[in-house]
Amino acid sequence: MCNHEESRQPNAPARDPRFASPAIGALVPLLALRASVLCIVFLLPTLTRGQDGALRDTIDREVKAAWAKDNLAAPERSTDSVFLRRIYLDLVGMIPTYEEATAFLGDADPQKREKLIDKLLADPRYARNQAQVWDVNLLGRNPQGIRSTNRDAFRNWLATHFEQNVPYDRIVHKLLKAEEDNSKLFYVAYRNSDDLTTTAMRFFLGTQLQCAKCHDHPYESWTQQDYYGMAGFFVRTYVVETDGANEHIKKFYVGEKSTGDVSFTVLPKDAQPGTKGEPVKPRFLGGEELQEPELPADFKEPKVEPKQAPPKPLFSRREKIVEWITAKDNPYLARAAVNRIWAQFMGRGFVHPVDDFNSENDPSHPELLKAIEAGFIAHQFDLKWLIREIVNSAAYQAADVGPVTDALPKYYERARIRPLSVEELTASLHIATGLGVEAALKSKPSGDMLKYLGDPTDGQGRFQGSLTEHLFIHNGDTFRGLCYPRNGNLAETLLKSEEDWNAKVERMFLSVLSRTPTTEERERFVNYLNVDPKDTKLESQRMEEALWVLVATSEFRFSR
Amino acid sequence: MNPNQQSSAFNLQPGTCNLQHHLSRRQLLKGTVVTAGGMAVANWGALFHSQTIAAEARRTGKRCIMLYMEGGVSQIDTFDMKPDRPTAGEFRPVQTKIPGIQVCEFLPNIARHADKLAIIRSMRTKTPDHGPGGYYMHTGYHPSERFPHPEAGAMIAKYCENPESDLPSFVKIGSSSGIYGAGYLGPQYDPFVLGDDGRLPGFANPSVAPEIQSRRGELLSFMEQRFAEQRPGDPFASHRTAELRTIRLMRARQTFDVSAEWEKAKDRYGDTQFGRGCFTALKLVEAGVSFVEVGHAGHDTHMNNFPISKALYSTMDPAWGSLLDDLTQRGLLQDTLVVWTSEFGRTPAINVRAGRDHFGRAWTVVLAGGGIKGGQHYGSTDPDGFEVAENPVSEADYIATIYKAMGVDHRAKHYLGTRPIWATAEGSKPIEELLG
Repeated sequence: MCNHEESRQPNAPARDPRFASPAIGALVPLLALRASVLCIVFLLPTLTRGQDGALRDTIDREVKAAWAKDNLAAPERSTDSVFLRRIYLDLVGMIPTYEEATAFLGDADPQKREKLIDKLLADPRYARNQAQVWDVNLLGRNPQGIRSTNRDAFRNWLATHFEQNVPYDRIVHKLLKAEEDNSKLFYVAYRNSDDLTTTAMRFFLGTQLQCAKCHDHPYESWTQQDYYGMAGFFVRTYVVETDGANEHIKKFYVGEKSTGDVSFTVLPKDAQPGTKGEPVKPRFLGGEELQEPELPADFKEPKVEPKQAPPKPLFSRREKIVEWITAKDNPYLARAAVNRIWAQFMGRGFVHPVDDFNSENDPSHPELLKAIEAGFIAHQFDLKWLIREIVNSAAYQAADVGPVTDALPKYYERARIRPLSVEELTASLHIATGLGVEAALKSKPSGDMLKYLGDPTDGQGRFQGSLTEHLFIHNGDTFRGLCYPRNGNLAETLLKSEEDWNAKVERMFLSVLSRTPTTEERERFVNYLNVDPKDTKLESQRMEEALWVLVATSEFRFSR
Repeated sequence: MNPNQQSSAFNLQPGTCNLQHHLSRRQLLKGTVVTAGGMAVANWGALFHSQTIAAEARRTGKRCIMLYMEGGVSQIDTFDMKPDRPTAGEFRPVQTKIPGIQVCEFLPNIARHADKLAIIRSMRTKTPDHGPGGYYMHTGYHPSERFPHPEAGAMIAKYCENPESDLPSFVKIGSSSGIYGAGYLGPQYDPFVLGDDGRLPGFANPSVAPEIQSRRGELLSFMEQRFAEQRPGDPFASHRTAELRTIRLMRARQTFDVSAEWEKAKDRYGDTQFGRGCFTALKLVEAGVSFVEVGHAGHDTHMNNFPISKALYSTMDPAWGSLLDDLTQRGLLQDTLVVWTSEFGRTPAINVRAGRDHFGRAWTVVLAGGGIKGGQHYGSTDPDGFEVAENPVSEADYIATIYKAMGVDHRAKHYLGTRPIWATAEGSKPIEELLG
């Protein structure tokens, strides 16, 4: 799982749990826990005393302070049309329609950005989009053994929770308890205790423990005992599959045995033949060993019947770890959550990569991270509150232009640049070509879209273009097909319209790029489209080409 | 400023290639991109990450063709024969012109090239399963690491690619030998996959008439240029670079059409998909592609090993042999490494169905050409072929040897987030005896 070759390798006798002295490393997180509790106590008064706008002001104060400290030029405020496209993509996962765009751009109200944010947070598309983002982040693009129908149901389950704005810690709790129908895919996607431990730590606690599986963590105080201690909570968990309500969907049960331990072994290459691993007791990360009742001497594990609800364990280790992870005073949960949500909207976490808190990876804005964490806890893990504060900040609303080349500037000195996800791209193509919100909501990325535009990063999250992506955009049917005039789409509407070409081009730009064309662009497009009106075939062809050009631009491919 | 330069900078019009409009990456590297106003665009250099520029400086001009025997190829029936032993099987060895090197009687074309071959008979690999074996032999790493390691083709594309070429740097002919991808190197180095017979995928062909491509390409160039003026962001640059490469690929697509020459070559290579694949690989490396993999399926001979293998060799041998002939004749062999490999070998013991099963403990791969000292064996197995007798070679050693022969640092360090990750794992060693 890990590749630190130049790291400390385990020294088998010293790691023997029988000789283990209380790990000094274990004290560090305990201290951190106290520190974060203290921090909450100190910050709470200022946060609760202020208006609801307190956090957005803190954000702007701290971000500005970092610019001053590093002599960075402060960015301009984004233009209305740049903000408009950004906020639609970030909150509802698709670009605004022509009508939505013109309504906003034509509004003279100085409060219109704040109003639009409230409107979009209340839009059902918010919950749907948030569910998509979570689903892909948690399960990845291609989890094994999960049908798309099950995945849709899981997304719907998540969306219901985002719609009701269920507190973050409660959503995590339900997701990990996995008792409700359609809530269980985390355990289905990660079926063994290694994957479960690693992913739960990484995703929910922002802590990468996997390196400590094979050797003590090179950059961190985690030891192999920490890793095996945490894996012990998940080692008895298993998944039972049955047929669901219909043949297209599966039903899952997450079961747990009453017996079974993880064994701590040395690396396979160091193992002597015949040596067995030592069973390791579950232990909370940086904390106490789990106290669990003795099994009755005559205990026999009940048989797990295929396709049936599994028997309950005498004592559930998994329940204990779920309670621990989601406890109000867990030192990692809120911190990891605010970093992840901040990164979702700002492009880059204070800690980057987003799920890699460690002592060598200092946050870019440590005070701000603490303040947001404290505020999130004080607001009972209220996601909408947190997101509303972030996107109302001047930092989020920064301009997209400037000399910085980095996609995710470390100090937020320019808006982040991110490619549209394949879901956003699919929905936005429907909006751009005039098919409307309903059609966009029903749209799903095709297999080809997933294949050619699904994961355009270099393995470290940086965008990389590929040949096949462009071949697909140029020569595949998807992009061109939507631009071809038919069924009342934008191309057809424009061809039938009595408006003059200037107005038509303006409408094209607003529909696809959420902005009006520059004079130069308008002239160029009018020239391109304004052909002999008797040649209807050529007119249609030109219309398709011009629309294709707009959806093929970098401007359409990215959110900025 | 020359107005042609301006239009060439953003020329996204396939099918309108002329020299003046031809945009080379070197031009871009030199920063000759100019806007409509005649002003050089600041930081178009961000198109190329600094590593890419460094890669160009290190460019070796070397190329590699990997012939991948899918399913697990038998060592004992080909290059590590055990005549008169219980494991020998039905095939007989023949002596080549190189003393000490004998090969199977059904590999006459390869036998002619014995002076060029470095035969590693001591592969000792860790997995007997096709999936992980394929991953291991393409990347040098175990799949359980779950890091997205690049396959050798992607690594070689990164370090050996020809920046002047209109063609992709890593091509796979057919996908049956597995697509492991560029991993942390990113989609820029992902394999460009052709059909099993070497033909381009359908969507590489323009979907609209040349004049339409031309005019809409011009309009797109106009939009991209306006957008880029104020936005030097890396992702936009990467997007445009990929688009330019795509346009150039579409222009150069004739390179993939070898039909006319194939008519003359097919008698020598054998009129098979693999034969045509090898011939296409020849044409592609000649045109500047850094890495081409050609798969040859069907080596998983759990039953009836001997008749099936004989048939397999009858397609494999003339294609491989003719490829070496043509590379030699065209003066390309000294810079072209030709690798013959698989995910593992096959058991010395013959099973009750006259088959041989999966076997990683002691098997053979063969290198030839660029950077390799031919006419030798490396390592050996015990008399019946069950164990490596001397000089065991791991997957990582094998990949390290390929990298070294290609002039790529086998310990090149990359980063996954903050974590260092190496081209091949710690402890891997190129086999110096084979490197010329």
